[in-house]
Amino acid sequence: MKKLYLVLAALIIASMVLSACGTAPSAEDCASPDVFCVGLVTDVGKINDKSFNQSAWEGVQKAQTDGVADVVQYIETTDAKDYAKNIAQFGDAGYDAIVTVGFALGEATVAAAATYPDIHFIGVDQFQAETTEGVSGLNFPEDNAGFLVGALAAMMSESHKIGAVCGTDVVPPVWRFGEGYKAGAAYADAQNGTTTEVFVVYHSDVGFDKTFTDPEWGAQTAKSMMDQGADAIFGCGGITGNGAITAAAQAGAYAIGVDTDQYLTLPEAAPRMLSSAMKLITPGVAKLIAAVKDGTIESGNVFGDAGYAPFHDLEASVPAEVKTAMETINTGLLDGSIKTDVPPVKP
Amino acid sequence: MDWKRFSFIALVIIVLFGAVVMVGQSQQRPILIITSMLATTIAVATPLTLGALSGVFCERSGVVNIGIEGMMLSAAFFGWLAAIYMFHVFGFPIGISITVGALFAVITGGLMGLLLAVLSITFNVDQIIGGTVINILAVGLTGFLNRQLFFGKGSVFGGQVPNSPGVLPTIHIPIREIFAPLCSDSIICIENIRAINRVFDQKPIAMGAVLLVFIAHFILFKTRWGLRTRSVGEHPKAADTVGINVFKMRYANVIIGGCLAGLAGAYFTIESVPSFEPLLTNGRGFISLAAMIFGNWTPIGAWAAALVFGASQALQINMQLFRESIPPQWAFLQQSYVVGLAPYILTMLILTGIIGKTTPPAADGVPYEK
Repeated sequence: MKKLYLVLAALIIASMVLSACGTAPSAEDCASPDVFCVGLVTDVGKINDKSFNQSAWEGVQKAQTDGVADVVQYIETTDAKDYAKNIAQFGDAGYDAIVTVGFALGEATVAAAATYPDIHFIGVDQFQAETTEGVSGLNFPEDNAGFLVGALAAMMSESHKIGAVCGTDVVPPVWRFGEGYKAGAAYADAQNGTTTEVFVVYHSDVGFDKTFTDPEWGAQTAKSMMDQGADAIFGCGGITGNGAITAAAQAGAYAIGVDTDQYLTLPEAAPRMLSSAMKLITPGVAKLIAAVKDGTIESGNVFGDAGYAPFHDLEASVPAEVKTAMETINTGLLDGSIKTDVPPVKP
Repeated sequence: MDWKRFSFIALVIIVLFGAVVMVGQSQQRPILIITSMLATTIAVATPLTLGALSGVFCERSGVVNIGIEGMMLSAAFFGWLAAIYMFHVFGFPIGISITVGALFAVITGGLMGLLLAVLSITFNVDQIIGGTVINILAVGLTGFLNRQLFFGKGSVFGGQVPNSPGVLPTIHIPIREIFAPLCSDSIICIENIRAINRVFDQKPIAMGAVLLVFIAHFILFKTRWGLRTRSVGEHPKAADTVGINVFKMRYANVIIGGCLAGLAGAYFTIESVPSFEPLLTNGRGFISLAAMIFGNWTPIGAWAAALVFGASQALQINMQLFRESIPPQWAFLQQSYVVGLAPYILTMLILTGIIGKTTPPAADGVPYEK
């Protein structure tokens, strides 16, 4: 029995030690000023997560193929305690730009900027409450993304009732997704002379982190909306939203994802996945890396663009005029001729 | 369970539903609002009911179980894991994989129950500590394994969470088919029957939970087993002197309680959504404890209390659905966090004894030593 414990203990310790090691960057001549090196530190998860990490890494790779970056390298974080350590690996190797992916790395990124004043940091989805020299937070207009899928849902709905299941509206980006969704539906109504009822429900539990990790609540809320006749459901709020998307897809309604193309991340819902309200991370990251190289980068908040994901399996059921209208709206949002009129924070 | 308490519960549910109907009737017909809320209430109450039943069995036999949350969480994880393994690794069809998943969840719950029993009955560990051990163990174990199996280097599924085989199907009760001919051609009548049918079209665990409430009531109050269970929870010494094996009774009941909590865990990943997330039970195990206390340690009372919590979540969702119709003098209700407070306010009202005193089993939490 004692031996068994020993083996168990050894196994557990081994697995912990193994998971703590990251991939070491290849130490080329990054310290020299002629070589432009870009490092990327993921949030907990894999580089091929078909979500934030992967999109950001594709942006870094794009910078390389565009001839901006000479050396690119990534470290996968396996434990939230390793953020600072992983950033330091690139910092000590003399990299020129470091991309950190996800809101959770915000603090570690700001702290690292003080340690490595010669390196420019790009924090994906890290809103900068105050400007730190050397850190650019790459944010996205969530209201535009919500607007696009809101308009799409309103045009595709047969019952003219659509819903959005979101995390807490205390978090400004979540609220902006929801408000953008409403505004988009209203815009489509005005264009097509329809009247669409829009249900937007926020997980309003007082426990803040709970509101994003409650798939069961998301599923129940989506079902309630479908009871009232909604036939398109937008899930905006992490795992809570995923619950809503899965429930909508199971019931045969249109499901709409958030942040990245969730057709790829939620195979359970894929057949009914209409689109996703996307943050265009890849071009945003590539653009900022180029700006770091020619020295035009600004510290503080930088905004990327929003978009909508392809229709995938439902390509054939989306009418041509809806596709044209979506392209018109997207162009309008990008050039500023269409505005969502959603304030940055809830009034 | 006295009438006072049942009428209080009925009153609360009527008030919660009534508030939404008042607000929403300009947008939707009342019957459609009520049936949808009822369906939500029953579904949401399912894990709470099963969790509370778990507590009833443990505490009626004299073992305090605050580890329901941890039992649910670990069962949710291992049930989901078993379903995935059956489906992807062993290549079983979807139906069998899900069923095995549910079974594994129940077994996991039972094993957690066994752990609590060993700690608190054999080793006389303080039962609150024993329950806490289970809660902490469950968080650590599921979080660690989830990461090692799916995100670790060289993990079984290569760093990617595989597609779960799916969830249990809804069982259709043919109310619509039977009563629709009575409507002749009235569309509203058919719509109403369809809405009523929606309340009864629940998934297997949700239906099972309601059945289990009555089965548990029968076992506890109508059988010899139940009498013995209650006697070791009230006065173990007296029970022992008449020849009842206190340890055996307590072990058995705590393991049964664990299995029930395991079924509650299966609800999350096998019946509701086909995915596991760390901490996905989100404190529902503790709400079940409150439901058990409010139900005065009886199965039917606990079920009624769980329905109150289910109804308050239905209020939270539906009040927001009809946000636009809330009259201006009640504008504060448009704020989602105000309706979000409903379950907490109810818990406080209930637990501060607004409905009278509740009495736990006399030997609840007291280890028995010969």
